[in-house]
Amino acid sequence: MTTTAIAITCTVNGVKVERTVEVRRTLAQFLREDLSLTGTKVSCDVQICGACTVLVDGQPVSSCTHLAVDVDRSAVTTVEGLASEGRLHPLQQAFVEQMALQCGFCTPGFLMMAKALLDENPDPSREQIIEYLDGNLCRCTGYAPIVAAVEQAARVLGPAGGDSNA
Amino acid sequence: MLPPFALERPDRLEDALALIGDDCLPYCGGTELLMAMKLNVLRPSCLVDLKGIAALARVEWRGDSLVIGGAVRHASLAADAEISRSLAVLTVVEQRVGNARVRTQGSIGGNLCFAEPRSDVATLLAALGASITLASSTGQRRIAITDFVLGAYETVREPTELLVEVLVPSARLKSGVYLKHQYAERPTVGVALVREGENGVWRLAVGAVGDVPIVIEVSSLDEIDAEAVADMTDPIEDISGGVDYKQHLVAVYVRRAVQAAAEDLGA
Repeated sequence: MTTTAIAITCTVNGVKVERTVEVRRTLAQFLREDLSLTGTKVSCDVQICGACTVLVDGQPVSSCTHLAVDVDRSAVTTVEGLASEGRLHPLQQAFVEQMALQCGFCTPGFLMMAKALLDENPDPSREQIIEYLDGNLCRCTGYAPIVAAVEQAARVLGPAGGDSNA
Repeated sequence: MLPPFALERPDRLEDALALIGDDCLPYCGGTELLMAMKLNVLRPSCLVDLKGIAALARVEWRGDSLVIGGAVRHASLAADAEISRSLAVLTVVEQRVGNARVRTQGSIGGNLCFAEPRSDVATLLAALGASITLASSTGQRRIAITDFVLGAYETVREPTELLVEVLVPSARLKSGVYLKHQYAERPTVGVALVREGENGVWRLAVGAVGDVPIVIEVSSLDEIDAEAVADMTDPIEDISGGVDYKQHLVAVYVRRAVQAAAEDLGA
């Protein structure tokens, strides 16, 4: 059946969401405009910069070039889903302590990409962190504090990796 | 903002093939297609989502040969335990295609059909002597990967055809190395060097520098002259370098690939 809008059901940061979405709507538009989750940023809009990174079923995607209808029956995690019970996630805490942000526009993307890395590999080497994050661009901080923050978060999280919010 | 389009979501291959055409494009990960639509390079009225078609999502072994469905994602190939055991060089390549987001979304078929000259996968598949199968509602044909890609962003695929599978013949008997120079999301130079079984020939593929990979067959590593290989390339001048620089890189990476093959594969 040819269709230009589809009813979807998904969870976003653990909350069930049911919407009818135009097929051309990107996941970034859906999150920011339909759900008012503006933590996810759009910068290049052509999936080069990584600012719009969110997790779909635990895997990182560029929400600017991902159709919203493709998250039907999936679990989406955005930067708003990292902190719990008023406490920053260890990655967020490490970014603050390491001064790994200035303007902060790229930060949600870096956090979600780093979350994906630590979920998959709780004890990455510095080289692995750099390689995993090399598709994310920051234009003010420089990358060394960001890498240091991910290393710190990995130490804090321990073997449980990014799956834990403790 | 994406231009308006309709989305079809068939779950049978034949239904997808009946739909695909000039104005109705195959869609899987969207890593290249949606970008091209945003930039107004492509403006289809309809996309055919391939993600619900089980036949395109399979990775299977037929004897020693590896068959990969066109809609299989890079991340799946990167994590495939049997591929890691039997054709480790493919795992090496798939683990470093683009970045983790591209690997989550992007499919091997989309990668090949878009024919981006800097495709790591296309370079390796050329060295592996792989072929692809194109299907349409009227039949199918198998084509060597080196004959499939005509140039930058150009293949022999007709608008009504879909890349349904990639075949790596005798994959279990092959071993190889892949090295690349990369500072952004795509390589400047990619070099694959594959041995066809214990006493088989070596096939060297140099990709990313020119419109299509160049492929050279030799019976021993000693026959590879890195400078001569560099001279054979026709580099694209772009932000990642000029002709001289890229030919220099080719020679360096060919030498390193030969050394790695000698060390890692006991050649």
